[in-house]
Amino acid sequence: MARLTRREFLRTSASGAGLALLAAGCGPAIKGDFAPKAGRRVVVIGGGWGGATAAKYLRLADASIEVVLLEPNRQFVSCPFSNLVLSGVRSIDGLTFGYGGLRSHGVRVYHEAASAIEPDVRRVRVGEGYLEYDRLIVSPGVEFQWEQVDGLAAAQDRVLHAWKAGPQTVELARQLAAMPDGGVFVLTVPPVAYRCPPGPYERACQVAWSLKTKKPRSKLVVLDANANVVSKAALFRAAWKDYPNLEYRASNKVVKVDPSTREVTTEFGDRVKYDVINLIPPQRAGTIAVQADLVGADKRWCEVNHLTYESVKHKNVHVVGDSTIGLPVPKSGNIANAMGKICAVAVVHLLNGKEPPAMAPGNTCYSWVNDHEAIAVVNAYKIEGGKVVQIEQKLTPGQSAQWAQNAVGWATSVWQDMLA
Amino acid sequence: MRTIFRLIGGSLSLSVVLASGPAAAGPLDAPGAAKALACSACHGLGGQSPSNMMPIIAGIAPWYFKKAIEDYAAGRRPSPEMEPYAKYVLEAGVDDLASYFASQPRQPTAVRVDAGVVERGRVASQQCVVCHVESGKGDPAKGIPDLRGQPPGYLANQMLLFKADRRNPGDATLKALKELMKSIPDDQIADLAAYYSSLR
Repeated sequence: MARLTRREFLRTSASGAGLALLAAGCGPAIKGDFAPKAGRRVVVIGGGWGGATAAKYLRLADASIEVVLLEPNRQFVSCPFSNLVLSGVRSIDGLTFGYGGLRSHGVRVYHEAASAIEPDVRRVRVGEGYLEYDRLIVSPGVEFQWEQVDGLAAAQDRVLHAWKAGPQTVELARQLAAMPDGGVFVLTVPPVAYRCPPGPYERACQVAWSLKTKKPRSKLVVLDANANVVSKAALFRAAWKDYPNLEYRASNKVVKVDPSTREVTTEFGDRVKYDVINLIPPQRAGTIAVQADLVGADKRWCEVNHLTYESVKHKNVHVVGDSTIGLPVPKSGNIANAMGKICAVAVVHLLNGKEPPAMAPGNTCYSWVNDHEAIAVVNAYKIEGGKVVQIEQKLTPGQSAQWAQNAVGWATSVWQDMLA
Repeated sequence: MRTIFRLIGGSLSLSVVLASGPAAAGPLDAPGAAKALACSACHGLGGQSPSNMMPIIAGIAPWYFKKAIEDYAAGRRPSPEMEPYAKYVLEAGVDDLASYFASQPRQPTAVRVDAGVVERGRVASQQCVVCHVESGKGDPAKGIPDLRGQPPGYLANQMLLFKADRRNPGDATLKALKELMKSIPDDQIADLAAYYSSLR
C-alpha cells in the first residue's frame, strides 16, 4: 500500500487534474452527450463531504459501476477546522486537498458545474452538454439567501460570509489581522437551519481568542438571530467566560447591512457599527436542488427516504448532506460523510436489484474554544420503523486539550475517508 | 499538521472499467461491513485508523472489541465519543461488528516514531513484559490486549487515563496496572508508547 504525505497527495492530484482537463474537453466546449454511457452509471453532483464520500464508496461497493463526479472546484477545502485559519492557529493549505485519491478509485472527476437535472430522461445538463445516469446523487451543500438581508446582495465582495472555506476564509483572516486595536468585529449568526450549528460559536471563540491575545482593546459583538446558542450552549457559554471581550446578543436578527457607513441593523432597528463584519447569511439547499424541484414546501431543504436518501419528489435522484432535512441529524460534515457512505451502499444495492440494508449515520463534532482546547458533541442513531432515530447525544464534560487532540485525529481520519 | 494519506495504490487503475455484470466481492461485501460504515470516519475503512489518536481496530480480537464496547456503553470506560457509538454497536449487533473487524487485515500504524525514543521505551518496557509479554502481543487468556503497532498517541493517552484512574475507575482487576502506571513519569509513558507502537 502506498502512503502519501499531504504534499505528495496534492502533487498526485495536480497530475490527475491534467487528465480531467483532457477528459472534460477543456479546449472544445462541452456539447451534447460528452461522455456516452456504456454500462451502469451513477452521477454525483458536488464533491464536498457528502458527494466525495459517496463517489468513493460507490466504487468500493461495486467497481463495475461507472461513477462520474461533477465538482467545479479543483481542490477541496475543509470547512471543519477553517475557523482556526481566522485565528492563525492553522493554515488554509493544511485544509486543502486534491481529488487525485478519488481518481485512483476510478471516479471520473469533471471540474464542471451541473446546470440542470432532467429526472424524466435521467440526464444532468452541464452547460451545452449533458450526461446520462442510472441514478443520481445530489450533494450541492447550501446556498445563501442574500435577499434576506437588505444591502447584502450588492455588497458580497465587501461583506464576507467565510461560510464556504476557501478564499473568503483567507480574506476574513486578513481583515481580522489588519483591524486596528480598539476595533469592533461583528459576527452575525443566521436563523436555523443553517450549515454547522456550532460553527458560528466556535468562530466567536477563535475571533475572541485572537483579539484577546493580539488586540486586547478590541471587541467582538455576536448578533444571533436565534433565541440562544444553537449547539453546545452550556459549553460555549463556559468557554466565553475567558473572553470578556465577547459581547453576545441573542434574538438579534440582522436585516440590513450598509458597508458605506459600516453598520448593520437588527430587526428591532438597533444599529451596530463595525470595523470588520462577518455576516453569515440565511441558507437553503444548493441552487440546483431548488431548480430541480427537490426542495419541499419550505422551498429551502430536501426531504429524503431515511434508508436510501432517495428524494421523496423524484425517483432515481438521491440527496445527501446539508441540503437534506427531516432527519434528526445536524447539518455537519460528519453527517454528510455518513450519508454519502450509506447512500452509496443503498444505490449499489438498488442497481443490483437488492434491498438496501438498514444503516444509521453517526455524528462526531468538535469545536475549538481557543488555540489548544476543544469541546465535542456526539450523536448515535438507529433505524426504527424505516426512520433515523437518535439513540443518544453526549457532550464532553468540559473543554480540554484531549478533545482537541481527538479532533485532529478525527479530521485526519475523516478527510481520508472522503478523499484518499 | 502533516496529514498522511493512504491510497489503495496499484489495485485500481485510472481508467474506468465499464463491465455490465456485478463485480467480484469488494471491500464492502464482507458480512458486517455496512454496519461498520458508521465507524470509518474515525477508525478508517475496515478499522485501519490513519490517525495518531484513534486505535486501529482492524484485526482486533473479538473478546477485546466486545469488552471495550460493553465498557464504553455502560460508562465504565468513560468517553463522550465512544459511549454513544458503543450503544449504536450494541443496537446494530456487537457480534457482527466484532467478527467484521476481526476479519479485516491489520497494518501497523502509519504514524512514525523516533528510533531513539523507541530504544528508551524498549529499556523501560521491562516493567510491562510480565503481562504484555516480550513481543507485546499480550495474553488473551488473561485479558491482556495486543499493543503492537497501535498509534503512539492512542497508547500514551490510555496509559495516562490508567494513571489518573479515569479508564474503568475503581475496577479491581486493573488496580495493579494503575499502581504501576502511577510510578511511571509522563515522559517515560511517551517512550513506552513509541516502543509498543514500533513493534510488529
